Amino acid sequence: MMSSASSDKNRRIALVIGRFILAGIFLVSSYAKLRPQIPDTPWSVASVKTSLSFFAMEVNSFQLLTDGQVSFVAHTLPFAELILGLWLLSGWQLPFSAAGASVLLIGLFGVTVHAYMQGLEINCGCFGPGERLGPWSLVRDGSMLAFALALTVIAFLARPKRSGAAGAETGSRALA
Amino acid sequence: MRTKPVHAGLETTWAVVAVVCLLGLGGLLNSSPALGQTHPATAKSAAAKAAAAKPVVPADVVKGLGDKNAPVTMEVFSDYQCPSCRILYEQTLRPMISDYVASGKIYLVHHDSPLPMHKYSGMAARWANAAAVVRKFPEVEAALYDNQDAWQANGEMGKFVQGAVSPADFKRMQQLMVGCMAMDAPQMGGSPGASGCAVDPLILKDINLAKQVPVSATPTYIFIYKGKTYPAASGLVSWPLLKQFIDQLLSQ
Repeated sequence: MMSSASSDKNRRIALVIGRFILAGIFLVSSYAKLRPQIPDTPWSVASVKTSLSFFAMEVNSFQLLTDGQVSFVAHTLPFAELILGLWLLSGWQLPFSAAGASVLLIGLFGVTVHAYMQGLEINCGCFGPGERLGPWSLVRDGSMLAFALALTVIAFLARPKRSGAAGAETGSRALA
Repeated sequence: MRTKPVHAGLETTWAVVAVVCLLGLGGLLNSSPALGQTHPATAKSAAAKAAAAKPVVPADVVKGLGDKNAPVTMEVFSDYQCPSCRILYEQTLRPMISDYVASGKIYLVHHDSPLPMHKYSGMAARWANAAAVVRKFPEVEAALYDNQDAWQANGEMGKFVQGAVSPADFKRMQQLMVGCMAMDAPQMGGSPGASGCAVDPLILKDINLAKQVPVSATPTYIFIYKGKTYPAASGLVSWPLLKQFIDQLLSQ
């Protein structure tokens, strides 16, 4: 009984730390894409638009999508990362936010592996401009994916299970 | 019987020795600039020979297209034998040149980054730099990229360069290329080039600049706007997306 309570406590701590780390990764990644790419440049709507246009060129260098698709991905991905980061940080419906993060990371990891296998010598664009796509970025992205998947599994396992009594009670309340 | 005086024979001997010494001294003075003045005609001839051996190339030769005062400068580090560089040139830079470079929005600068795995890229860079010296860079750059498939097998690019410029300009370029043909061309992380090739210092200057960026693959490009440099980007980019970025930059 004691060991089960201790195990639950450890799992909860691991989930809190895990979601904070994953949230941090997504928030940093989003910030790196949205921030002005030249130091000492003030933030503005125009600077964000320019950064997104610059990011679009990096997405384009992966040679996977049409121009229209590249533009769509480049203009939505940083905001998706921002929302996902905040969602993970909030802890609300963690299994689903972690699953969303895993799905996104599976896609991004797949794209980087494909580009690397194609021999493309391009920037990764994962955490803003200037970072080369290479073995290091693949190891890092793979580790992040493994981390997100582990967090998702643990989060689903740690979900409070609905007992039959609780369900019956809910049902009786509904009837009442 | 009259006998010849002894001192008369000595005088003759001394006279001969004196003449020989004077002639020798004169010859020495004439041949050594340290000991005497060189004849002006001889000096001009020597200078002409030296000039013919290695033509003087201005150090500030820029392989640029468009208005230097354009609001955006795009610097492209590329290799004439690299397939991606050709695609970038044909599909992105060419429409950009006829549109945004022509209208003064962009100043496009080419920098040579001949990669070691491309056997003839250094020689192509030499032709391009020789063309830049005679102000025919855009024509030769286009000829090199347009015919990349044809010359990359055997390195015979001279005929394509010749076809892109006038006979007089080609002759001037050939003079610049004297001393270049039989020697290894400069390459990124490879050959430092040949001291006898007049255009190699221009390529080495670009290679040193590429190291500072740093350039690890081609094509790599950087944008300079209002004196500030954007991070380097690599690989292919389509003209519509590049145009979108430049428009956004100009609207700031």
